[in-house]
Amino acid sequence: MIRVESLTKVFRRPRTFPGPLGALRTLVTRRYDERVAVDDVSFEIPEGEVVGYLGPNGAGKSTTVKMLTGILTPTSGLVEVGGRVPWRDRSANARSVGVVFGQRSQLWWDLPLIESLRLVGALYDVPAAHFTGSLRRMCDLLGLDDFLDTPVRQLSLGQRMRGDLAAAMLYDPPILYLDEPTVGLDVLAKQAVREFIVDTNRAGRTTVVLTTHDLADVEALCRRIILIDKGRVLYDGGIDALVTAYAPPRRLVVHLADDETRTFDIAGGASVPELIGRVAAENTIRDLSIEEPDLESVIKQIYAESTR
Amino acid sequence: MIRPLAGMARVGLRFQLAYRSDVIMTVLALIAQVFLLRMVWTSVYGGAGQARGLTLEALLAYLSLANLQAFATTPIIPLIAHFRIRTGMVFFDLSRPTGYLPQMAAFQAGHTLGGLLMLAPAVPVVLLVGTITPTAQPLGYAATLTLGYVISVMMSLLICVIGFWTLETGAISLLYRLISQFFAGTMVPLSFFPGALGVLAEALPFKYMGYVPAAIYVGHLSGGQVVQAMIVEVSWIAGLAVLLWAVWRRAHRRVVINGG
Amino acid sequence: MAEIARALRLYWVLQRATMRGALQYRLNTVISVVTGAVYQGSGFAFVWVVMHTFPSMGGWSLREIAFLYGLRLTAHALCMLPLSSLIGLEWLVREGELDRVLLRPLNPLVQVMTKRMGMGQVGDLLTGVVLLIVAAPPWNLAMIGFCVPAVVGGALVEASFHLSLSSLSLRMLDTRALRGFLDDVFSKFGSYPMSVFGGVTQWVLTFVLPVAFVAYMPASVLLDKTGSLNVPALVAYGSPLLGVALFALAYRVWERQLRHYQSSGT
Ligand SMILES: Nc1ncnc2c1ncn2[C@@H]1O[C@H](COP(=O)(O)OP(=O)(O)OP(=O)(O)O)[C@@H](O)[C@H]1O
Ligand SMILES: [Mg+2]
Repeated sequence: MIRVESLTKVFRRPRTFPGPLGALRTLVTRRYDERVAVDDVSFEIPEGEVVGYLGPNGAGKSTTVKMLTGILTPTSGLVEVGGRVPWRDRSANARSVGVVFGQRSQLWWDLPLIESLRLVGALYDVPAAHFTGSLRRMCDLLGLDDFLDTPVRQLSLGQRMRGDLAAAMLYDPPILYLDEPTVGLDVLAKQAVREFIVDTNRAGRTTVVLTTHDLADVEALCRRIILIDKGRVLYDGGIDALVTAYAPPRRLVVHLADDETRTFDIAGGASVPELIGRVAAENTIRDLSIEEPDLESVIKQIYAESTR
Repeated sequence: MIRPLAGMARVGLRFQLAYRSDVIMTVLALIAQVFLLRMVWTSVYGGAGQARGLTLEALLAYLSLANLQAFATTPIIPLIAHFRIRTGMVFFDLSRPTGYLPQMAAFQAGHTLGGLLMLAPAVPVVLLVGTITPTAQPLGYAATLTLGYVISVMMSLLICVIGFWTLETGAISLLYRLISQFFAGTMVPLSFFPGALGVLAEALPFKYMGYVPAAIYVGHLSGGQVVQAMIVEVSWIAGLAVLLWAVWRRAHRRVVINGG
Repeated sequence: MAEIARALRLYWVLQRATMRGALQYRLNTVISVVTGAVYQGSGFAFVWVVMHTFPSMGGWSLREIAFLYGLRLTAHALCMLPLSSLIGLEWLVREGELDRVLLRPLNPLVQVMTKRMGMGQVGDLLTGVVLLIVAAPPWNLAMIGFCVPAVVGGALVEASFHLSLSSLSLRMLDTRALRGFLDDVFSKFGSYPMSVFGGVTQWVLTFVLPVAFVAYMPASVLLDKTGSLNVPALVAYGSPLLGVALFALAYRVWERQLRHYQSSGT
């Protein structure tokens, strides 16, 4: 469904100069500031898969999504989405993708939510009968009925995000790009968003590319993740495989009597009771626990290694 | 008492200088405006030596001056106040020990100073386009202009205070700017205003920001007229001060009620 | 063809939605319209006051200048009513709104045009149409047949400058101040008979910055004053075509800049 080969994006802008005539100099300068945001990225995503696209701040996630949607033209490399090159065929590509940017809404700020949805329907040429059915389904899935007639500027963040999801899926696109869809939401709202994603994926075989900093989202939704940093792919594969491959040691956390906390790595094959015995012999233990490796600790470790 | 006000004036100055790349274009627009006026008036005068007691040379000098004055003294504080009331930042202003109105006035003074600095490179061009020669009444010019500036600031303060009721001074201050510039005579000296319009323009205080000082500079007004103008200006200032004080007291009470 | 019809229909749907949004702020709407009308009115009041003393300006009477003024103002409003959103294009780029525009299956310019509703321009239009009607010479069919394309052509001349300069902000060059200045020059110098300026200025305003083509030349045709033009009468009759040509060029510039769009960092 999505094919990316050696994708690279270099942002290049004329150097800006300070001072009253700076604007003029900026206009004629031949000096550029360059920044490689995406660097030789390749991957393929088959139809119906939900993929987590992860990486620390500034890794190049949003830039990749913008190239997948045709907003940005790649500096080099190849993108094919459903057999089309998005930036060359932007309008046709637009009809087959839904996009949610968690940071900003596509809804009309001053109008009731229902009107925004109607406008989106008109923009994507959704036939009236089909629109009614789609709207009904969205309302049921996302519980929009309570605030359909409220102006968008009066919606809470969670309500607005549900409206945005509805707007992105109203015309049944086979591909859904979600860039931080749960940012700033409370637990319940996050849950609603996740359920919606699972539902659309299951019901319509929608392919989903999800960008997020919340690893709980990833654990709930994706079986595969692509991990990037500084524009380069660090890992591409299943979550389970990742955790086993990196398998950071389990750790013994000990709370001592004098309110001190110490942690011990449990080396592979080592006996835990023996370790506890050794620690207990030298200290007075008040409490203890064992930390299993989880996705977060794995990712933390990978980020840390990649900056080194 | 003085130090915070000086601080506010510095903020006003910096505010003006921060937009200097825009200001280059605004100064160009000013030069274009003076150039346009010169063309239009030269054309309509044709061969006529004088009209309404003004020679073409005096008129052109008058127009250049009036436009420079209007540019440098454009009130900014209604826009600032609008922004600060909208965002609630006005409560910081109100909580300072140096009253709200002196702070705003200081801001405007700093802004005007910035305007004068920025204007400096444009002055020779405008003077050249407008052919201005030294005046015979420098004192009268300076005095009426200064008093006129005080009137202008007080009127702007009035608009700022009205903002506490309407919560919206952006469009009002734009309207004010248009009307005040027209009646200040920046495009036509008041002596050309016909009938009722002329009576109205003479009665309104806007003429002290443009017409009166500029006309004194070119000698169109002189002697007793200068003294008379200054007396009326001082009376306006006194009247506006009373009005401002009365309106401010009501506005302040309103703010306190809103806050509580 | 079907694509153009669809774009026009969607333009109307989206613009109406924006208008409904803007009309919720009623006081603001009224003040904006009034300010627009007063701004243009005060410009004409200047002409009126001057011509109270001097009955002729560059060989034109007050009534003739009022007609010229109305023609220019109507063209200006016709240009800026749909394009007022371009004033905020820098902001749309910075806030990432343009990303969304590019994600939808409709011409990006059409979408950008509907982002705002220019209420001040409604005031311009009112003043312009009133002047045009009050000061017009007795109409006949041929005049109407020329007047309509003339107003559209004038609007397109102005629009092409706005569009081509605005499109530079797709590459993060802020041209707002420059556009403001040009707008000022078009409004101020376009509303007078060029014979007032004469010589070099008239030449510049005809051939370098084609202000004369917006209203002066069409008005000369409609008022039967082509004899005093600095170009052959035929050029004046063809003046509406310039707008079409310039706008086609400006649209090319816009598309080109759009291809180089870099989005914003957020
Ligand atoms: N329009 C732009 N112009 C210049 N540089 C840009 C632009 N957009 C992004 N960048 C730079 O490219 C890099 C990647 O940015 P991107 O927005 O893709 O990161 P991200 O992975 O989405 O980060 P975050 O998690 O913070 O959203 C950053 O260093 C950023 O500063
Ligand atoms: Mg991002």
